[in-house]
Amino acid sequence: MKDTVIETRALLKEYRGRAAVKELNLNIRQGEIYGFLGPNGAGKTTTIRMLLGLIKPTSGSIEIFGRELRRNKLQILRKVGSLVESPSYYGHLSALDNLEAIRRILDVPKPRIAEVLDIVSLTGEEKRPVKGFSLGMKQRLGIAAALLGSPELLILDEPTNGLDPSGIQEIRSLIKRLPEEQGITVLVSSHLLSEIEQMAGTVGIIREGQMVYQDTIAHLQEQAAGNLSLAVSEPEAALVTALRRGCGGELQEGRLILPRMSDARVSLLVKELVEDGHAVYRVEEHRQSLEEFFLQVVGGGQS
Amino acid sequence: MMWRALSADWLKIRGKGLWFLVFLGPVGLIAMQGVNFGLRYDYLRNQYQADLWGGLLRNVSDFVPVALYLGGTLVCSLIANIEHQTSSWKQLLALPVSRTAVFMSKLLICLLLLVVSCLLLSAGTVFLGLLLGFSTQPIPYADVLRIGFASYAAAMPVIVLQLWLSLSSRNQTLPVSLGMTLSLLSLFSVFLSEWIPLSWPSLAWNAENPWLFSGAGLLLGVIVLLPGALHFARKDVA
Repeated sequence: MKDTVIETRALLKEYRGRAAVKELNLNIRQGEIYGFLGPNGAGKTTTIRMLLGLIKPTSGSIEIFGRELRRNKLQILRKVGSLVESPSYYGHLSALDNLEAIRRILDVPKPRIAEVLDIVSLTGEEKRPVKGFSLGMKQRLGIAAALLGSPELLILDEPTNGLDPSGIQEIRSLIKRLPEEQGITVLVSSHLLSEIEQMAGTVGIIREGQMVYQDTIAHLQEQAAGNLSLAVSEPEAALVTALRRGCGGELQEGRLILPRMSDARVSLLVKELVEDGHAVYRVEEHRQSLEEFFLQVVGGGQS
Repeated sequence: MMWRALSADWLKIRGKGLWFLVFLGPVGLIAMQGVNFGLRYDYLRNQYQADLWGGLLRNVSDFVPVALYLGGTLVCSLIANIEHQTSSWKQLLALPVSRTAVFMSKLLICLLLLVVSCLLLSAGTVFLGLLLGFSTQPIPYADVLRIGFASYAAAMPVIVLQLWLSLSSRNQTLPVSLGMTLSLLSLFSVFLSEWIPLSWPSLAWNAENPWLFSGAGLLLGVIVLLPGALHFARKDVA
């Protein structure tokens, strides 16, 4: 098992008695892209700010690289690059000077600036004042700034927010490259499932400050895979047959609902049901999209 | 660590009108006295003939406290605004640098800029004096240096307070209006008790024991600095 990079236990942040983040247990392992997913206002940014030591948790603990954040803040932050919400930049300075201002604090060698400019393909634009940059370029500059200290952990909060499709594509491929090429662990937040689905290996879904789902994307897709619905003349008896065959399943509104299975098994089951004297009216497959599953998970409270 | 933050801040103050402000203050004061002495040259030269330099310095000194308070307020606010403008605090404070170092670096850069202003004021005073033909009398270098720096030291509590307020909130209305009010009030320093720190920059030039007020200013500045730095180190960054 790989090392855990970020681990939070029962993380709680209250603003005037209202919990923005409650009982949050994050677990992010080394070298993975972790997608932090949730609707706007679910507490993603609050959590990320706590991970960066920008705000203090009301209670609970944060461990990054196996060390307690509050006591080892500077050593930990040395190995973390971050981009929180809207890009931060000094508009009156050129891209080069923006990075230089950060470089002086990080104390990394000067050639590193050209390297990160190259990674985010801003080479050639570095002399222009940043206030004339497009949002996409500012965002890329933000990522360059995050990469400047050669971090082992990259925390990106809504890195594609407000970008056009080609900008989103560019940032996405950039983020996907990082763990492969440089072994960086990435925590990326978004309110768009499709976004996370295309980048992340593991996903954590947060709703109203609480983690409602945390597992791999593959597992998420499996869960959302849908089911088989059979309308038969005697559902109870048919269920017994299905259970005997080890198909699992349950009755819903007089229909037999079975988990997804292979074509061969479906045909076998139907054959057996027919041989048992059941009339099979309908065999339907209901496919739930990931989007629906996500809405079901995050909308759990309301619906 | 603080030096690294300071060197970064040094880069960031470029092109923000800070240097302009730093020059504007002393140049404005000297120009004002240039007009004053230019218009009433014979009268004033006659009045101060025993101590020409002393007369010039006395006239300059009347406006040094208000200029220091006003300049300090604006410099602090402009410095803070560099980070407030695009909410760069979240980026800056997520870097491996302690909050105290960031706060001290901001303070040092403000103080450094004001030091430049004070030096310019001293240099400008000598320049104006020579221009007015005061070279017949020896230049009192100690007093020339004292004109800016003595009041500067005494203004420290207000400058530190202004920086604290400016850094605390994105909204600069409160710090700037408070700074303006204090500057205007300082014009009436003569009517204020010497126990009120606001009057110290003026007393640091005029009083019988001027060093007392410069010293008290520095001391109180350090005392105001502690809660300011502590608050900055602990506050949540939005």
